[in-house]
Amino acid sequence: MRCMTAVVETEGLTKFYGDRRGLEDLDLEIRLGEVFGYLGPNGAGKTTTIRLLLDVIRPTRGRMTVLGVDPRDARVRGRIGYLPGELALAGREKASEYLSFLAAARGGVPRERIAELADRLDADLSVRMGKLSKGNKQKIGLIQAFMHEPEFLILDEPTSGLDPLLQQEFLAMVREVRTAGRTVLMSSHVLAEVEHASDRVGIVRDGRLVAVEDVAALREKAVRKVEFHFDAPVPREEFEGLPGVRELRVEGASVRCTIDGRPDALIKAAARHTVVHMVSAEPDLEEIFLTYYGDEETRHARAAVEEPA
Amino acid sequence: MPALLSKSLRDYRWTLIGWTIGISAFFGLYLSIYPSIVRNPEVYGPAALAKFPGAMRDLMGGMSDFTSGVGFLQTVVYQLIGPMLLISCATILGNRAIAQPEEDGTLELTLTLPVDRRRLLLARFAGLVLGLLVIAAITFLLVWGLAAAGGMEVAGSRILAGHTGVFLLALCCGTLGLAVGAATGRKMYASAVVGVVALGGYVVETIGRSVDAISWLGWISPFHYYLDGQPIQQGFPVVDYLVLLTATAVLALTAVLAFDRRDVGV
Ligand SMILES: Nc1ncnc2c1ncn2[C@@H]1O[C@H](COP(=O)(O)OP(=O)(O)OP(=O)(O)O)[C@@H](O)[C@H]1O
Ligand SMILES: [Mg+2]
Repeated sequence: MRCMTAVVETEGLTKFYGDRRGLEDLDLEIRLGEVFGYLGPNGAGKTTTIRLLLDVIRPTRGRMTVLGVDPRDARVRGRIGYLPGELALAGREKASEYLSFLAAARGGVPRERIAELADRLDADLSVRMGKLSKGNKQKIGLIQAFMHEPEFLILDEPTSGLDPLLQQEFLAMVREVRTAGRTVLMSSHVLAEVEHASDRVGIVRDGRLVAVEDVAALREKAVRKVEFHFDAPVPREEFEGLPGVRELRVEGASVRCTIDGRPDALIKAAARHTVVHMVSAEPDLEEIFLTYYGDEETRHARAAVEEPA
Repeated sequence: MPALLSKSLRDYRWTLIGWTIGISAFFGLYLSIYPSIVRNPEVYGPAALAKFPGAMRDLMGGMSDFTSGVGFLQTVVYQLIGPMLLISCATILGNRAIAQPEEDGTLELTLTLPVDRRRLLLARFAGLVLGLLVIAAITFLLVWGLAAAGGMEVAGSRILAGHTGVFLLALCCGTLGLAVGAATGRKMYASAVVGVVALGGYVVETIGRSVDAISWLGWISPFHYYLDGQPIQQGFPVVDYLVLLTATAVLALTAVLAFDRRDVGV
């Protein structure tokens, strides 16, 4: 029927809210069957991109196709499941009634499918929507996004408000969707939240896409903060000049540094002493920005502050 | 019933129930005092009412004979209070169609259903029409019953004519609110516009008739197409009512076009 390898294709996609820039010149491709993590700090333009793809807002300029067609065509949304970033559920209606309405408007979803998802996410559907807690709203949002088994899932900050157990369950659901060959776009502030489920991530900042990376490649590049505490003071020289080690601080029996790439040499150096405690923080997104995608000055400024001369 | 329409009605349900009870209670209370008014012509008769200042009487639609069934019904229900109550209810329903869900954020998810925006708006509008029809039908039966019980001697067909006018007037104003809400996404703008048009329109059509500077504005007032034909006294003013219907249709169409072309939730 239609030859399609890209689920989303945008070209020069730009959105200004009056004078305010929401998104500028986005060239994005999301491939069939992949899980695409869309990362960026607050106000970067993630929600703007997603609302454009769903035709909730209209581009200032640029071009896009979603599942091969212009998103102005309402029918394409039948093949999409969407979880809004600022999910609003209100009113006296029960969650089950609301889900039935959404299901009916989508041409019908088996009752068992909704029940199964509710069971899986441990959601109580008999609660009135205005009375749902944040996490429970998010569960209803996830149920309605997944229930009709869409070809393409668009999830704006899906894990916000979910407790760690449910985050795991959610990631499992995403993996199942991928296994079934369907496509997912999900946004987040932190790499840690999406890296275990994503194939590729795009990083957006200040309305511009600054990088698209393979998750595996990104993790290689990621800088993480590491701390070792030993049972006795250690000499600084042993940790200096190790591959990937930067911002080294040795204070008595503790060593703090950032590690870039493989931590092997650092671990081996540490292993020569008695390690009583070790902390390795997940690499944070900001760190990756600062290290690899411009803003060199900020990085140097920060390094200068953190590294005692 | 299509999912979108039944959802609209469910969204309007509590407003409808509340206003039906409120309006019914109001009408019930006032219409039930008619017998005691008839018994006290020295207080409420034409001679007594003539003491009111002219402008005041204009504002209340003349108030010529409070003691006749027709005059009483006109003054108490069909002149100002009935239309204003239904217009208020219609404005709230019109706001519930688009502006309110847009402001509270629930519209976003609805918009991402595989439904054309134009169809969504028409479903919300159809909900407004049906909802108002229900409230108009119930209050009609109530007024009709109380008029008969109180011995007002007003033909049912006249009451129907008046009530139809109130319904069309309220529908027109509600659709105006819906259109402003669909174009701007703001409840406040919609309510403000309807408020100005309804109150201003009423004043222009009543006091304004005798003020040359504004009397020419009469044709633009929606009240003109309801009050001018005196439905309670004269029966259905068909052409006037068609004007109200046409205005409603034009406003609904404007709402569809405006809603279809703008960003939602910004
Ligand atoms: N309705 C609006 N009116 C004006 N500016 C807006 C509007 N919505 C977003 N913006 C601006 O557009 C930019 C991108 O916002 P967007 O909501 O897309 O960011 P985001 O990446 O989703 O952020 P967050 O992580 O906080 O959800 C921001 O600078 C924001 O202030
Ligand atoms: Mg956002």
